[in-house]
Amino acid sequence: MPPEAGGIAADAATFKAMEAGSAQRKRSRSQSRVGHLAPLVLSTGVGLLLCSGADALARATLSSAMPIYWLGILVLALPIFYRLTSEDASARERLTLVCMLGLGLYLVKVFRDAPVFTFSDELVHAFNANQIADHHHLFRDNPILSATPYYPGLEGATSALMKLTGVSAYGGGLVLIGAARLVLVASLFLLFERVSGSARAAGLGVAIYAGNFNFLYWGAQFSYESLALPLLLLALMALAEREAAPREALRAWGAPVVLAMMAIVVTHHLTSYAMATLLVALSLAYWYVRRKWDPPNPWPFAIFGILLAVFWLFVVASATVGYLSPVLSDAVSAIGNTIGGSDEPRALFQGGGSSVAPTPLAARAVAVLAVLALLAGLPFGLRVLWRKYRRQPFALLFGIAAVGFFATLALRLAPAAWETANRASEFLFVGLAFVLACACIEALRRWRGQRLVRPLIAAGIGLVLVGGAISGWPWDSQLARPLRAAATAGTISSPPLSLAQWAESLPDGRFAASTADAGLLLDPGGKMTLTGSSPDIEDVLEEEALAGWMVPMLRRNDIRYVAVDRREVGSDSLRGYYFSRRDRNEALLPPSVSSKFNEISGVGRVYTNGPITVFDLEAGR
Amino acid sequence: MRDHGDLEAAVAAAALCALLTLVLPFEPLRMLLAAPLCLFLPGYAISAAIFAARPIQRRQFLLFSVGLSLAVLALGGLVLNYLPGGIRSGSWALLLFLVVLGFCRGAALGRPKRAPAPVSWALPRPNGIQAALLAGGGLALVVAVVLAFTPLTATNATGFTEIWIQPLAGDNGVRIGVGSAERDDSSYRLVVNFGGSREVTRQFGLEPGQREILTLGDSAAVALGDEAIPVDAILYKEDSPEADHPFRRVSTWLGPAEGSE
Repeated sequence: MPPEAGGIAADAATFKAMEAGSAQRKRSRSQSRVGHLAPLVLSTGVGLLLCSGADALARATLSSAMPIYWLGILVLALPIFYRLTSEDASARERLTLVCMLGLGLYLVKVFRDAPVFTFSDELVHAFNANQIADHHHLFRDNPILSATPYYPGLEGATSALMKLTGVSAYGGGLVLIGAARLVLVASLFLLFERVSGSARAAGLGVAIYAGNFNFLYWGAQFSYESLALPLLLLALMALAEREAAPREALRAWGAPVVLAMMAIVVTHHLTSYAMATLLVALSLAYWYVRRKWDPPNPWPFAIFGILLAVFWLFVVASATVGYLSPVLSDAVSAIGNTIGGSDEPRALFQGGGSSVAPTPLAARAVAVLAVLALLAGLPFGLRVLWRKYRRQPFALLFGIAAVGFFATLALRLAPAAWETANRASEFLFVGLAFVLACACIEALRRWRGQRLVRPLIAAGIGLVLVGGAISGWPWDSQLARPLRAAATAGTISSPPLSLAQWAESLPDGRFAASTADAGLLLDPGGKMTLTGSSPDIEDVLEEEALAGWMVPMLRRNDIRYVAVDRREVGSDSLRGYYFSRRDRNEALLPPSVSSKFNEISGVGRVYTNGPITVFDLEAGR
Repeated sequence: MRDHGDLEAAVAAAALCALLTLVLPFEPLRMLLAAPLCLFLPGYAISAAIFAARPIQRRQFLLFSVGLSLAVLALGGLVLNYLPGGIRSGSWALLLFLVVLGFCRGAALGRPKRAPAPVSWALPRPNGIQAALLAGGGLALVVAVVLAFTPLTATNATGFTEIWIQPLAGDNGVRIGVGSAERDDSSYRLVVNFGGSREVTRQFGLEPGQREILTLGDSAAVALGDEAIPVDAILYKEDSPEADHPFRRVSTWLGPAEGSE
């Protein structure tokens, strides 16, 4: 404080003492800002170390490290959840905490797979990114998911990091999705805070959102939705701020919305349709609440979003129609068939066939309890929402989404509708998280004096997190598997990865391969590889005898190399990439699935590592 | 921009990062420089321009800095795709720099003179205990990352041996590679048969993770006629219980060149 402020002249010593006091106050304010964060940084670090240690044990095939892994998740998340329930944390601290939570859980996924991508979609997108980096242009073919090159936002962005730094698609993708994850949690926090007017509710809402089925693994992969969803939440956050802004600031708040919308449309088809749907619903909610279409009603953004998505779909990415329509029509018919009784309902927690160990009963119980906890909180949250926020269009939308989430749970019972339900849940869970955060805040208010209420709420969110992770990802795939291993003279790779590394050195030639091998042949192999049933590569690889149509079909598709994998798990896009284990029986297809190719005149058997053999159809030409 | 130190700094940082990422040799260092150029500065400049006359909260500004940078990257590839030269390191660096420069200029024009920067960079100063806790968390994270990226011995993984064959350029021989991913040291015998007329045998041992690449060309004196000749390579694993049983087999063809049929 300067001397003239108080109207009294201070001597030098007093002034010095005042300066020292001010510095002391600043320091203590700064230290109190760090105060609660410091132990939480430690617990997050320890939690991550436990998860990484559990993955290391699993990669070393030493023991079941599952308890250590779950302990790590809880050590990482529970202290953050507990702190988020407190009354005295500042908004800044809460925002820092949710960012720590989001990035911490992202690292759990990174540790599982390092240092290569192992999710089937990741391999497809990494291939696209490499194609862009190598050929300097977008829209190059992808042999497995033909629609993906027409949504080049993710791969184009990754190519910037790849070209500027020289890192691989893995390195660039890791950094990019990490940044996107940060945007996701921060946008969600600010969105919830604006709608609820409470940083406490916002923090709890993000914590609950982390319990959505796809948050830990599927939503953290190097895939277009992992970039598009954060951009959607950023746009929604800006729209919410726009609603509260003075009239002259409406245009300023609209600019980031438009930019984010354009980026979403070039990045992911489903998210762009979800965006258009949400904006239409939000415009209607505004009209319902305020009975007018004047700003800040976002209907112009809804129209813009629809036009953009439709333009991109029909002018640029028409292949998407053929890609998405079977998925959606199968989902619709599966629902009808399941309800009508002509199809058996899908069993929950089903693994990938008889060779996959079932999810333990205790884990199933946790997952079911988590859903029950969500369901139990729903009516209380909806009640609070109706009482306090029913004049807020965003809150109404959240309420509808929360109810919609439970409708998608029912869809999970229909076999072909499962994927659609799974995709929708990531969007709908935003609403559910907000509604449940309202319920938590109400509980904290009502039982303010009760000691147990904060730990119980933190534990409840922990249950939702763990249950969501179990529901969203197969139990046997939660932990890492051995893909690369240390050996006396260097590092050895699993059979499919060895195949891909060998293929990398080939100058050209298209491959046909089973699902898992095809993924690794795309990246890191860098080879155009066909798989699946269209064209019918599956039968070519799995039939015991060579049918007349097979070789002509392979030649018609310009396939030079056929990679035959006798491991049954080779057709499993989740489990097919790794070393098999001596202590477990591995199911093998009969030798004839491979030897039948010896009958082809002029064929070469150019590579084998035991289970996998590659035939060169042009060796003798 | 002279009255706005943050905008000047943003442009200078973008120029420096763009330039250094193009010339420096080390990937991690280039990543450290490319990360702000790609993931922060474009969004910072755009947010500064959009909200030049209407200050927003610091945390919103920071979020837009990262979020809008991602949007710029997603759309930037599309822009570069239609420009001469396409998507290259130089064009990315130039595009990102121009975005930062252009929007910072726009922000400087719209922002009142001597208006405070939207973001201040005062870092909290922890006391001793807090610093120790933060350092402990950081250390645990570093150990976790190192552990995750370090290959470990997979005790129960099933070992295997791979073998491949490739004709040499000019079809005057073959190159055969054998790699051991077995659990223990292994000894092998490789028998290569050229068209049934000539046989070459090699013996060698491999440690786990080791590779042997053999070039069998001139020394095998392969005589090429008008017809392609088959080359078969059979690998025997001499320390296995069935040492005389073929362990792996690969094959290819040598000559005549394509088109001579």
